[in-house]
Amino acid sequence: MNRKQQFKEGLITNNPVLVQQIGMCATMAITTTLFNGIGMGLSVLIILTCCNVVVAALRKIIPDEIRLAIFVVVIAGFVTIVDLLLQAFIPALSAALGVFIPLIVVNCIIIGRAEAFCQKNTVKDSFFDGIFQGLGYTCVLIIMCVFREFVGSGRFGGGLIDVANGFRFTLDGTGGGIQIFPEEFGAAIMNLPFGGFLTLGLLIGLMQYALKRSEKKKKAAEHAAKEAALKEVEE
Amino acid sequence: MLANILSISLGAILINNFIFSQFLGCCPFLGCSNKVDTAAGMGLAVVFVMGLASAICWVIDNYILIPLNLAFLETLAFILVIAALVQFVEMFLKKSVPSLYSALGIYLPLITTNCAVLGVVLLNVQNNYNFIESVVYGITGGLGFMLAIVLFASVRERTQFSDYPECFEGFPICLVSAALVAMAFMGFSGMKIF
Amino acid sequence: MIKSIFLAIIVLGVLGAIFGALLAYASKIFHVEVDPKQAQIRECLAGANCGGCGYPGCDGYAAAVAKGEAPTNRCVAGGEATAAKVSEIMGVSNDAADKMVAFVPCSGSLEAAELRFNYNGPEDCRAAMLFGGRSSKMCTFACIGFGNCAKACQFDAMHIIDGVARVDRLNCVGCGACVDACPKSIVKLIPEKQKIMPACSNTEKGAQVMKVCKVGCIGCMKCQRECPADAIVVKDNLAQVDPSKCVQCGHCADICPRHIISYFGPEYKNR
Repeated sequence: MNRKQQFKEGLITNNPVLVQQIGMCATMAITTTLFNGIGMGLSVLIILTCCNVVVAALRKIIPDEIRLAIFVVVIAGFVTIVDLLLQAFIPALSAALGVFIPLIVVNCIIIGRAEAFCQKNTVKDSFFDGIFQGLGYTCVLIIMCVFREFVGSGRFGGGLIDVANGFRFTLDGTGGGIQIFPEEFGAAIMNLPFGGFLTLGLLIGLMQYALKRSEKKKKAAEHAAKEAALKEVEE
Repeated sequence: MLANILSISLGAILINNFIFSQFLGCCPFLGCSNKVDTAAGMGLAVVFVMGLASAICWVIDNYILIPLNLAFLETLAFILVIAALVQFVEMFLKKSVPSLYSALGIYLPLITTNCAVLGVVLLNVQNNYNFIESVVYGITGGLGFMLAIVLFASVRERTQFSDYPECFEGFPICLVSAALVAMAFMGFSGMKIF
Repeated sequence: MIKSIFLAIIVLGVLGAIFGALLAYASKIFHVEVDPKQAQIRECLAGANCGGCGYPGCDGYAAAVAKGEAPTNRCVAGGEATAAKVSEIMGVSNDAADKMVAFVPCSGSLEAAELRFNYNGPEDCRAAMLFGGRSSKMCTFACIGFGNCAKACQFDAMHIIDGVARVDRLNCVGCGACVDACPKSIVKLIPEKQKIMPACSNTEKGAQVMKVCKVGCIGCMKCQRECPADAIVVKDNLAQVDPSKCVQCGHCADICPRHIISYFGPEYKNR
């Protein structure tokens, strides 16, 4: 399978949140600071890749009736591992994401990819599929976080970047971020559920617009090519 | 005790509504809210599953997992319970109420992956509720979900006739409308009754 | 630590076994008998869920046929081939039904029809009907032309051309979705073998019709006088064809002074 094609699909043309439109609960809930966004994105990437590999490896042995139950058990196993690791090594992230880490078990992206892709493809393809789809998901989370934080509090990189004593990354969630404009002038409602729904709606709308435009261009190009071919035949 | 239960109920239905405040259960909320009848059926099924799941998972957690120091198995055990429960509900509906079964169609097995069901069970553990409180939270959380999904189905039936940009067809206009309804629900925040 | 690993595996294994046993027991109690014929019939159907058979989706039709409640030739999307297969499964003889196609009895294109006002609202026939006169065209019987029928059609057989709906008879399977979608109930289903139809619904007097439309039927009765089979009569100032008498010669379409009669015959003479 073409790795470049997979990369493009995972990031743009078959993006799990913007195009397939699955896995939206977590996307809207935790994208309040960049720390949460990157943390969640990377967790999902790791879990997705591991689950893809295991499901693809077992795809010939799993009987059809209980395959959903087996997927769920495998995913739950990996989620528990990641949950415990986060609680131990990055407790700030675990506290910030709260109940949404165990909820990765029922994240439609992971079950969806296992069902749609890993059942019919090799371990290597599934591995890269997991990485690229996870990257696509993380990119969407980052875009949403940056937008919501900027409009909501005038900040960039809350929880992750600390500029008080020179630029550094804080992996314990205490960084104050770069204040681009004073917080009083931000629309605080963007940090609330309203902001989550609105930002995701606008992003999906933008993506649909971009995809439709590129499809129109392709169709126009095909049309022009057909006409040119006809003209040649006439001559 | 009664005050506690009432405050949990009102919190679950209005103040901390599962969809508009806590974002749990968005996928079926957006996917199933095309018509009010389907939405109502889905809501009832979710109420039933959430209530039963809360009860069974509380029992398993407090009588098996915690005494044996296996609290880390919570996620796995809960999702097994929920999957089995949804399968059971599916069989029950197919036999007793086949019209509701065919109306819900593919959305019934999707209650397994509904964040709200697993979410309510995990929140019961996080908030250290006793048995009665857990079941009440489960049922009223489901009622809050049903309120949200039925309200939103009515909104969606109207947006069908609106004039919005073509690129917003489908989920985007849905999400923007949901944002406005979420803003309305913000009016309940900070309410303290008991 | 080893103890807790074993304990975890045992506890989960036991829980899984209990749930599995409960589910197996429940599946016996709640067992629903599925007729094997129903599954076979469902396989032959087109699967479009168009509702043309009059039953809720392909599953609904398959269930009704298996129970013996429905005739075997109702699947319009599948056509004769499907009817033959379903009849074979049910063990009955196949009566071929008349194939129906949709027809829009209106020729009020933007060129022909006079406009009452400029309408700037949602492009939806139901919405446009809320204004007095039931259309932005002056003729109150006209097709509004915003395409509720085209949106309802699953077979790409209905298109809005120049402000009026037109049926693509090659694609149309006669499911009737457009008939249900039209808020003015203008669209009709006619037998496919009927190739002549006056494309107008206006029952007002000829003088009124000429004011509102360049091509509407004025009830001049020329077709009625010259028809060799007495198949076309003018009732309520509107020409109407009786399909049982019509010999499909197309003479009325030739002589109509308004060119309002549609002719789908071998030499397609419609405007």
